[in-house]
Amino acid sequence: MKRKIGELIIILLFYLFQVTLGRVISIAGIMPNLLIIIPVIFGYFNGKNEGMFTGFFAGALYDLSASSLFGFSSLVFIYIGYLAGIFYRRYEGTEIIFPLIIVSAGDLIYEFLSYIGNFLLHNRLNIVFFLTRFIIPEMIYTMLAFVILYKPLVWLNSHLNVRDKRRVNKFDERNI
Amino acid sequence: MKKKFSEIFTSKFILILVTGLCVIFIAISFFTNKLVTPLKNVVSAVVVPLQKGMNYMGLWATDGYDRLQEVNRLLDENEKLNEQVDNLTEENNRLKQDTYELDRLRELYELDAKYTEYPKTGARIIGTSSDNWFSTFTIDKGSDDGLETDMNVIAGGGLVGIITEVGKNYSVVKSIIEDGSYVSGQLIDTGDVCTIRGDIELMDQGLIHIQYFKNGITIRNGDKIVTSNISGKYLPGILIGYTKDVTTDANNLTQSGYLVPAVDFGHLQEVLVITKKKENGN
Repeated sequence: MKRKIGELIIILLFYLFQVTLGRVISIAGIMPNLLIIIPVIFGYFNGKNEGMFTGFFAGALYDLSASSLFGFSSLVFIYIGYLAGIFYRRYEGTEIIFPLIIVSAGDLIYEFLSYIGNFLLHNRLNIVFFLTRFIIPEMIYTMLAFVILYKPLVWLNSHLNVRDKRRVNKFDERNI
Repeated sequence: MKKKFSEIFTSKFILILVTGLCVIFIAISFFTNKLVTPLKNVVSAVVVPLQKGMNYMGLWATDGYDRLQEVNRLLDENEKLNEQVDNLTEENNRLKQDTYELDRLRELYELDAKYTEYPKTGARIIGTSSDNWFSTFTIDKGSDDGLETDMNVIAGGGLVGIITEVGKNYSVVKSIIEDGSYVSGQLIDTGDVCTIRGDIELMDQGLIHIQYFKNGITIRNGDKIVTSNISGKYLPGILIGYTKDVTTDANNLTQSGYLVPAVDFGHLQEVLVITKKKENGN
């Protein structure tokens, strides 16, 4: 439970960074998608269920401040968390390349889906423009943000784990 | 029993369950936002104060930095401006006499001032949309401060946009440069009506589309466009921007071109909300 609350606080913090600092750190009007990083990290290090849990809440917050349909980002983020969870414990924690690939692929798919929903269905067929001006720059910027935030997030994640383990140990001792 | 519980709730089962939940959410929010509004209010009660705090912190930091940089420039500018003040004071005196005369004449003809002053309230921008597609932003006043949807938002004398969503302590403003935003405008001098359409593909040039001018009207670069009398939601007479490169369309019936917005959307920090709504007979 403590762990879940910790995760929610991290999500809230990332959301605040996204909506307030996003404008400041944006390059040519493009800001990185910080919230998509969370389900990847937690899914990759703690398994599918954690990935889905964080994905759902990160997506819900993302939806509340974006003007798209409520539930869309949640849906995509849940799948990204699940996808990251498939590779749980298959690779070393120090290996950054693999989660990086998941983040970039996830962001690309997510942005492309929102392009389809918001523009392509409204007869905006200039795919090349949207890809080169919005989707790919955002993907690259998100990858950069991921590289920067990877170490702190891994540290936070292991920190949350330690607390949980301690609690479980105490619990077991009492039972004995 | 416990084992059985965890056997049923495998990751795959949870995935299917939440997928269904999300699809239901999407389906409902497609038709109504009654489900989302209370949720938004709850979240905003927590998030908006934090957002305000972070915003003030950021402003404080950038203000300090800017101040250090700008001192030298300001000293130079101050000298120049002092000269200008002298010139302008003289000119102002002359113009004041003209206004007195105008007022007298207006009273004489019992003419009302063309555009009455609208009641306004100031608000600070505390957040932007979390995605890159839209130019909506959040301001720190909501229904508690008497704001309602469809109220016009201006800044620096020009039209910024319109309120599309109001929470207890926040409102969401949709700007005129956003993709799919339409405003009815008119030429300030002749009153010829046109439509202004936001377009994401023109974002880099800082322009928006201006369409449906009747053919045969002469439009020069830099002509002022204001909101029109026939607009459904926008109050008349608010400056939108200046025309650029208006040419005849291929159909030979209408003219279209670009509009340079009067507001600098890149550096908005505070906006004014006009607390009077357009009465359109509904």
